[in-house]
Amino acid sequence: MPLVAAENLVKKYDDLTAVDGVSFTIEEGQIFGFLGPNGAGKSTTISMLSTYLPPTSGDAVIDGISVTREANKVRNIIGVVPQDIALYPTLTAIQNLRFYGKMYDMGGESLERRCQELLELVELWDRRDSRLEQFSGGMKRRINMAAGLLHHPRFLLLDEPTVGVDPQSREHIFETIFKIRDSGTTILYTSHYMEEVELLCDYIAIMDRGKLVASGTLKELLSVLGEGGVIELEVAPTGCSEKLEADISRQQGVTSVKHQDGRLVIFSDNSARSLPPVLKVLEEMRCDVIHLEIFTPNLEKLFIHLTGKELRE
Amino acid sequence: MRQFRKLWQITRKDLLVMGKDRGSWIVLLLTPLLIIMVASFALGPAFSGELKSSLLYTNLDQGGVGKQLVDGLREVEGLELVEGTEAECQALASGDTKYKTCMLIPTGFSSKILTGSNTGLQVYVDPSDNASRPFMVGMIDGAASRLSGMVNSVKVSVVEVMKFAPEAELPVVASDAAQTAVEQMNQDPPVAVEITNAGAAADVNMFDTQAPGYSVMFLLFGVMLGAEGLLEERDKGTLGRLLVAPVAKSSILGGKLVAQFMIAMVQMTILFGVGHFVFGMHLGNSIPGLILMIVMTAFTATSFGILLASLVKTRRQATSVGTLVIILMSALGGSWWPLSIEPEFMQKLGHLTINAWALDGMNALILEGANMQDILVDAAALFIYGCVCFLVGIKMFKFRNA
Ligand SMILES: Nc1ncnc2c1ncn2[C@@H]1O[C@H](COP(=O)(O)OP(=O)(O)OP(=O)(O)O)[C@@H](O)[C@H]1O
Ligand SMILES: [Mg+2]
Repeated sequence: MPLVAAENLVKKYDDLTAVDGVSFTIEEGQIFGFLGPNGAGKSTTISMLSTYLPPTSGDAVIDGISVTREANKVRNIIGVVPQDIALYPTLTAIQNLRFYGKMYDMGGESLERRCQELLELVELWDRRDSRLEQFSGGMKRRINMAAGLLHHPRFLLLDEPTVGVDPQSREHIFETIFKIRDSGTTILYTSHYMEEVELLCDYIAIMDRGKLVASGTLKELLSVLGEGGVIELEVAPTGCSEKLEADISRQQGVTSVKHQDGRLVIFSDNSARSLPPVLKVLEEMRCDVIHLEIFTPNLEKLFIHLTGKELRE
Repeated sequence: MRQFRKLWQITRKDLLVMGKDRGSWIVLLLTPLLIIMVASFALGPAFSGELKSSLLYTNLDQGGVGKQLVDGLREVEGLELVEGTEAECQALASGDTKYKTCMLIPTGFSSKILTGSNTGLQVYVDPSDNASRPFMVGMIDGAASRLSGMVNSVKVSVVEVMKFAPEAELPVVASDAAQTAVEQMNQDPPVAVEITNAGAAADVNMFDTQAPGYSVMFLLFGVMLGAEGLLEERDKGTLGRLLVAPVAKSSILGGKLVAQFMIAMVQMTILFGVGHFVFGMHLGNSIPGLILMIVMTAFTATSFGILLASLVKTRRQATSVGTLVIILMSALGGSWWPLSIEPEFMQKLGHLTINAWALDGMNALILEGANMQDILVDAAALFIYGCVCFLVGIKMFKFRNA
């Protein structure tokens, strides 16, 4: 049985539907990734799962407990790391952790031990008595994450934990996430960086405008694009026939052609074999090629394939 | 039980956060102390009668009524009576004397009163003296009106002696004798005319009149900071983090309100403590009464804070709306000048504010030596006021940003 099951979650704000009928399941021990551009509805989905927002309709069940009917029970088994750093800037790192620990009925020696454990995990034990406002962005994010882990949650919700973080801190956060996963915690991870999701997640759901547009393992998702890779092409705007797109899509191995910022993105099941006929079409039509690139399939291209737009504007 | 423990932890956390916030302490303590000092040294004398004024008088009356009048005035706080001759009294006209006011009790004052004939007091005032004139004339008028309460026949005439017109006439405005009153008098002549100061407290320190008003005003500014703090927690997401933890909403708000109440108590205690121990401010005859007033005022202010936080949408609004309301309440409610000098409808209007109820009680204790029973009405009014704000506030507070 999956640890988490979301059933048709909907959240409406006045006339805007932020989350529009989202369903998914998360297996125990998985890192489940939510990938989507700004405003896709990732945080709103997390808010509903974490009992912060009541869904307009639909429900989610975590370890058999409904987030709408038994919110208080759910709160005991989930850990939430919000997108914004939700800590007290004038308190020290350890004071922040102690305070949140007490909100989960922790205390005494065991709380002290847990604080030390987590501060060591995020490698800030020696900075425990510094006020949070004296920390760098990346360090704050690490404490923000530790604060969600105090009570050994079974399910951890991480909302873009690497926003505004330098590459070194980011690496560090990744390592921590793997350690948390290895300790048996199931993780929901949201991001609009496809590299992060590719690297971290066992299972990925791609979200756009409140809807899931695809989901599966990385391999499953990329197979949609075919094994063959992607050709990206930019031609000079003048003198090139308008039939170009239609002609290219008829070439051998080409599965689909999309427009993207004045470029043509050509998906094929074997880009090496599709390239010569594509070049031939370009020559016949007297198109001046400005830019030509061949990619192996990735989530960025998949997103373009699915939605016709880029993940990051 | 668990929720109570969490409530208390939230209180402790808030106290810790507040304790570290120097800006708040400037608003809570430093600013009010400075303003109280400035106001006390500048205005205290005017409101407390600390100003020692000398009243020159000449008593040409051979009877007892004139003497009773003088004796009565001697007891007035802040008034020093100096006996002089008629010539000295008239010398005010030439400005050759250091006195600003002179009261002349005319020959036959007593007998004329007792027989019901027309008579009056003559008061000479230096027209250039605007500062003490209202006080002096008020005092004499008050003393005389008490006399006339008995005899119903004395009116005071105020004669302005024009320095540049020494020949000016000195009219004596005499009252009509009220025959019936005199008849009554004859049956039951006045044995004593008693004139006492309205305030019973021994002597009034300049802090006594100023400190409570400004303390209450800055108490309200203190809870406004608390309201901003609560909204800041909502904006920054720390409140959201508590909402997704197993903590009841009532514990979250309760913890914050207890902290706010404790801070308000500490603030009032320090302000009154510094006033008392450093500047010799009086605390009245009933310390339990004063404690009750401080507790009730702190409670009502705290409730006002949560109401403010629940009625505004943003932190900026809490600051702007809060400042407006607090300034208005302080002006209307007697934080800046005593309500007693205002017309009645303004006094009534003033009692829509927290300040008025708090200051009614505190001033009664500090300035008039009232006891616990005398201030119970004010304490009860504050309690009801606080409960209404509290209930509306917690009912309407939004834990999530819209
Ligand atoms: N409180 C709110 N009131 C109205 N609209 C909201 C509210 N919160 C979010 N939205 C809208 O809902 C949509 C989804 O927002 P959400 O924060 O879930 O996106 P996201 O995927 O987390 O984006 P990001 O990557 O920028 O964090 C957005 O269009 C946003 O403007
Ligand atoms: Mg988000």
